[in-house]
Amino acid sequence: MEKMRYDVVVVGGRVGGSTASLFASKNGLDVLMVEKNQEIGTPVQCAEATSSSTFKTLEMKPSPKYVCTEIKGADVYSPDGNHGHLEGGYAEGFILERKVFDKQLAIESAKAGTDIMVKTTVKNPIHKNGKISGVVAEHMGHAIEIEADLVVAADGIESQVAKMAGLNTHQTPKSLCSCAQYEMVGVECDPNYLQFYFGEKIAPGGYVWIFPKGDNIANVGVGVRSDTGTAYSFLKKFTANLNATPVELNMGGVPVYGPVDKTYADGLMVVGDAAGQVEPFTGGGIHVTAHCARIAGEVAAEAIEKGNTSGNFLKKYEKLWKKEVGQDLKQSLKYRKIMDRLSDEEMNILAKFLKEQDLESISKMSVLGFVRDYPQFLKLLKEIL
Amino acid sequence: MKISEEQCGYCGACIAVCPQNVLELSGMKIITHSGCENCMLCRVVCPVGAINNGKNEV
Repeated sequence: MEKMRYDVVVVGGRVGGSTASLFASKNGLDVLMVEKNQEIGTPVQCAEATSSSTFKTLEMKPSPKYVCTEIKGADVYSPDGNHGHLEGGYAEGFILERKVFDKQLAIESAKAGTDIMVKTTVKNPIHKNGKISGVVAEHMGHAIEIEADLVVAADGIESQVAKMAGLNTHQTPKSLCSCAQYEMVGVECDPNYLQFYFGEKIAPGGYVWIFPKGDNIANVGVGVRSDTGTAYSFLKKFTANLNATPVELNMGGVPVYGPVDKTYADGLMVVGDAAGQVEPFTGGGIHVTAHCARIAGEVAAEAIEKGNTSGNFLKKYEKLWKKEVGQDLKQSLKYRKIMDRLSDEEMNILAKFLKEQDLESISKMSVLGFVRDYPQFLKLLKEIL
Repeated sequence: MKISEEQCGYCGACIAVCPQNVLELSGMKIITHSGCENCMLCRVVCPVGAINNGKNEV
């Protein structure tokens, strides 16, 4: 068997993998990144929206090469069709061309010194003295033993590496949002605003999104958590009246119930979808993953420098990402759980109430008045406010 | 449990929820290893309905 030796082997070449390897390489490590697909960036499994914090984390500019549109706000539709408009703040960001963005990120990583192998599948982790010390991979029918002091698992929701190392990264139909998306041409929409549609009939347990990519091209997608129909069937239904035509069909599962319990082991760190590093309320994962993966890359450098890649040392990775993004994820999960309890009717009532408020400063009086009219929301509002 | 190769988009959602961990994504194909207990969680999360219980259901 062919043998290789690296400080770090990163499994997966999308946002999590490229970011972790970029920062590990920048900090002087010898890094190999393996990607199972033959082309980095495809197939796309993403609605492609992200916030400006992603670029700050990556120390990259939002270049028109991979940014389609700049987002200034969002239009949100409750089940009864009522519409609320959000301007700026949390709703601001960018729509990416992930195929180009992911490849560019891999290129940045390669420029920093990362070696990359494509069309290479990891078969097993190598265990030595109870510690992960590399992986066995397969490329074009040949097995390769890649020895490494550290493994970063950035291998997505289908992550096998973390599972094989004994970590519980399992999802359930409740925690995994099943998504289908068309990139469509002829979607009449404002290129600077996202659209969200909620309701049991159009997207049970999730929502429909229209994310504009400019020139009336948009990602139109549906996320569901339900056994009443597939994401694809709801997508077909929603797009039937759009008078637009698809140029791409994407699908995938998004973990929307918060991070997995443990994201490190002896010789291993888990990042991205594999670690559930996604905002539960929105399902947005790019900025969270980039943030956590950068920490993983930096902790990797520290671990190698100190000659200590034990779980006890790598715990630092989890401590850091929890400190920096953990609170946001927790808050987002709280909103997700509240949302999950609402019926369409309750969503309509709540949306109507929130629309009449200045979200920055909801007054106590208005809340009291609302709860008097709709006592069923008392417990819920207590949790939010 | 049966996966329709024609419909499968090899997204890996089924793998993420398989409690027995018997599914594997190999290239553009999902391989089912032995040990499936037909819990059908994979069918619930499949975005395109490529999985059925193998009993000729529609």
